[in-house]
Amino acid sequence: MFKKRKTVGMTELGKREQRLAYWLLLPTFLILFTIAFYPLVQVFYTSLTDKTFASNQETNFVGLQNYHHLLGMTIKELPPVIDEDTGEQLLNPDTQKKVYERAIRILPREPVRFRELFQFGFLGRRYVVGAVDREFIRAMGDTISFTIFSVLLETLLGLGIALVVNSHFKGRGVMRATMLVPWAVITVVSARIWEFMLSPTRVGFFNVVLQKLGLGDGQIAFLRLPEWSMPSLVAVDVWKTTPFMALLILAGLQLIPKSLYEAAEVDGASSIRQFFTITLPLLRPSLAVALVFRTLDALRVFDVFQVLLAQSRYSLASYNYYQLIGNRAMGLASAIGVVIFVLIFAFAMLYMKLLGVDTE
Amino acid sequence: MMNKQVFKISKKVVFWCVVAIIFVYMLFPFYWAVNSSLKTESQLQMTPATFIPRNPHTLKVDFTLDNYRSIFTNDKFIHGLLNSTIVSTMTTGLALVVGSFAAFALGKLRFRGKTPSLYLILSMTMFPQVTVLSGLYAVINKLNISALPGMILSYMIFTLPFTVWVLTSFFKSLPRELMQSAQVDGATPFQTFYKILLPLTAPALVTTGLLAFISAWNEYLFSLTFTAIEPASRTVPVAIALFTGTVSRQEPFGEIMAAAVVVTIPLVVLVLIFQRKIIAGLTAGAVKG
Amino acid sequence: MKKSVVLILALAMILVVSGMVLAEKVEITVATGAVGIEYDLSVEAAQRYMELHPDVVVNVLDTPDLAQDRLGLYLQFFEAKSSEVDVYQIDVIWPGDLAEHFVDLYEYGAERVISQHFPAIVENNTVDGRLVAIPWFTDAGLLYYRSDLLDKYGLEVPQTWDDLTRTAKMIQAGERAAGNPDFWGYVWQGNSYEGLTCNALEWVVSNGGGTIISPDKKVTINNSNAVEIIEMTANWVGSISPDGVIGFGEEDARGMWEAGNSAFMRNWPYAYSLGNSEDSAIAGKFDVAPLPAGNSGRGAATLGGWQLAVSKYSEHPEVAADVALYLASYEEQKIRAIKGSMNPTIQALYSDAEVLQASPFFGSLYDVFINAAARPSTVTSPRYNEVSTKFFTAVHSVLTGQNDAQTALEELELDLEDLTGFEIGRP
Repeated sequence: MFKKRKTVGMTELGKREQRLAYWLLLPTFLILFTIAFYPLVQVFYTSLTDKTFASNQETNFVGLQNYHHLLGMTIKELPPVIDEDTGEQLLNPDTQKKVYERAIRILPREPVRFRELFQFGFLGRRYVVGAVDREFIRAMGDTISFTIFSVLLETLLGLGIALVVNSHFKGRGVMRATMLVPWAVITVVSARIWEFMLSPTRVGFFNVVLQKLGLGDGQIAFLRLPEWSMPSLVAVDVWKTTPFMALLILAGLQLIPKSLYEAAEVDGASSIRQFFTITLPLLRPSLAVALVFRTLDALRVFDVFQVLLAQSRYSLASYNYYQLIGNRAMGLASAIGVVIFVLIFAFAMLYMKLLGVDTE
Repeated sequence: MMNKQVFKISKKVVFWCVVAIIFVYMLFPFYWAVNSSLKTESQLQMTPATFIPRNPHTLKVDFTLDNYRSIFTNDKFIHGLLNSTIVSTMTTGLALVVGSFAAFALGKLRFRGKTPSLYLILSMTMFPQVTVLSGLYAVINKLNISALPGMILSYMIFTLPFTVWVLTSFFKSLPRELMQSAQVDGATPFQTFYKILLPLTAPALVTTGLLAFISAWNEYLFSLTFTAIEPASRTVPVAIALFTGTVSRQEPFGEIMAAAVVVTIPLVVLVLIFQRKIIAGLTAGAVKG
Repeated sequence: MKKSVVLILALAMILVVSGMVLAEKVEITVATGAVGIEYDLSVEAAQRYMELHPDVVVNVLDTPDLAQDRLGLYLQFFEAKSSEVDVYQIDVIWPGDLAEHFVDLYEYGAERVISQHFPAIVENNTVDGRLVAIPWFTDAGLLYYRSDLLDKYGLEVPQTWDDLTRTAKMIQAGERAAGNPDFWGYVWQGNSYEGLTCNALEWVVSNGGGTIISPDKKVTINNSNAVEIIEMTANWVGSISPDGVIGFGEEDARGMWEAGNSAFMRNWPYAYSLGNSEDSAIAGKFDVAPLPAGNSGRGAATLGGWQLAVSKYSEHPEVAADVALYLASYEEQKIRAIKGSMNPTIQALYSDAEVLQASPFFGSLYDVFINAAARPSTVTSPRYNEVSTKFFTAVHSVLTGQNDAQTALEELELDLEDLTGFEIGRP
């Protein structure tokens, strides 16, 4: 009946429905436009200028220069260093590795300087990748890998926890309240709790336990060793936000009609089969929304990086904070904001497409 | 026969093991905060760290309530609790009411421009907080409203898109026949919305509300800025950030942990209370086919 | 001639303003630290000011103790050109960067008192000849040492970094052998944050490596003395200092120190009174000394501390300036020194009998403060934060072993040249 109307065109009833929809949307748009419209437009505009935050300095329109600065990258080949006597490539006397020209001499300095990001070998040649804003490119890489790992783990864990809590057992009420604890702890404070547990001496819980288990000497600097720091951050975030995922998934589970399972039971479908044929497909819309908002927060992660890593490694948002509050480079900071915006948008669209959620 | 029994029991054991692991994983860091909040500065620095507060010399169990005493004699903290409750409740209420209107339209009604509307709403919340802060501060100043309403309004930036999106997906999952049959009975779409659909989404409303409540409760940066010149309106996270030691640079870690414990427990109690609602919503939802 | 005109104008203004004041009380808001005693003392001082000036109301606003949060908050006020706060408590590294938002205190009678203060701080607070902030209380890096352990091993207080390394190694080995596996020789602030700039500046200056950027605007950091000392400190990590020291801030270092797990510590004066508190395992077992020397033959201490500045957007800048000067006056600083053991910026207070009675170790601090090295914040303004971040990032990369000191400083030199546009020079 509804479908028919659509093809024929708007009936009186359809028009009324549309009017009602606009009225219902009005308060939301009114509120959001009042508070968010100006800041949003301001950020987009400022990203095209060289504005200094909290300064009376004149602001100039600079076009896409901030974006060039943030995203500018280059690849250069590092020529081998030749031993003048033998005509062969020099070898490092300690490591017996071939010596190449230092990257700092090869990377261009004019009109802007490129800093070394990393080197790699390919087909027997050695290359260096340089970036104008090395910290930003690193922050982007770190933030994206942080997002992928933490969101993935949170989704799996959250789904698991939601399924457990959704099954009937004694004490699920307590369980549901318990699983909310991490989410309820104030974000900055939870970062502090973990920082303390991850202390690099035996003051910290993890060093004490690992040492008791015979691992490490009780002096592991979790947050300062490259191989430990990212997993530590992911662990903190997973602990903190799995409840968010679990609760949203749980609400989604509860909306699946029981009758479907009863019917499947009659047909003799195993519970694993039920999960893949009923639960998962019907959960897709809730899952997509949960993923969108989780990813949105993960890409803007701030406290965890700021508290646990200080300024040794940045996330996009903490780099943004550093540029805005520390350096007062408001134009550049706004451009970083826009980059985050675009990333989030891309992820959101991706989820909706991948999970086949119909927005119409 | 015997095998089946064994299978059943082992299944149960595995299940309870999983429950226990989840329980410990979720609670242990919080336990560590409780443990730390009962320690003095020197106990916090003991090597190796102790699982319950112990005297550094005799290693006997020895805990202190000083941290709790000092936060409860701190007016700013108590005030902060009150302010946070007001701001978070109002924010959640507003976001749920306004958001469910929009979500009903987006989830169940037919109109032009649905997808753009959804993404437009989402785009309001996609910048990092610090990026929009100065613009938002200008808006709040322009509107000339005081800190509490200023916070409630500005928290809409992150709570409203969230409630709209979550509720939209839930409205969408409700069977269309419900609406049609209500319309056949002569109900207007709006009546259908608040008499039939809204009660059915009660569990979703409660969940969304809780999550929104907590994000408002935990917000720090906006609150710090908007209450800067109105210290009486400060919320809990700001009050905690203003905890200080006796001298500059000293950080009262134990007190921060105590505050974390005190702030978290009411929220958990809140959840326990709302459980009934969730379950009630479920039974109501069971009617549908 | 010109001066007298200004004076008359100022007098006229004061008259006009005080005329207005009679009609309505002037309200002045002072943004200060939130710290317990520090805040209480500010409130008391405001009370005293109000008793002297019944027509003025002084509000004390507490702001976060975390310097970065406080700066963020101030910047929002300045961006909005807000007149809500009249007097700001600012860090010693901010005068250069924030100068444009503050009035010149010389125009409000600061000349009379300025000679009482430490010249290094006054110079730091002077931007283009304008005094943008009046010094309030100060800070400098100190070497804390365990006097009981030095006695036990028959060692002297180290005078040079080499001495320190040797002494720390010996005590560490001894204490570990005696059954404390958590004992370390030396703790300091190695996290990548402003505190590392303070620590590293002390190393470099004491080794004759200059102050990163010299007062005459030359980039001086890439020199053999700087390379040498940074290489040396990188070797401390994991030998006399825990691996985790590269994640330490002031409080982490103090925690280890007060638990009795370290022989030496670099920290600010605040750790002194806390170390002697009841709760501390080392109460009465330690003392402070100037930091050790390197090639220059003299130790160096980085200057810290807080100033009071008057906002240009204030509705009553003259009253606000008067409040600021009052809070930073001899009498008020003396009260803060006695009651809160905050280090005065007025030199004469270091020989004041009452002050010395309350905090005997102040006497030995005088030499430290008078020789303290200021970070190059005013000369590099408004880009100091970026300069400092580049510096501590470079040093941190050496401490973590990602880079050797030569490469790190070479790159840093290029970065700073780009950033400031200054030439390269010798320290």
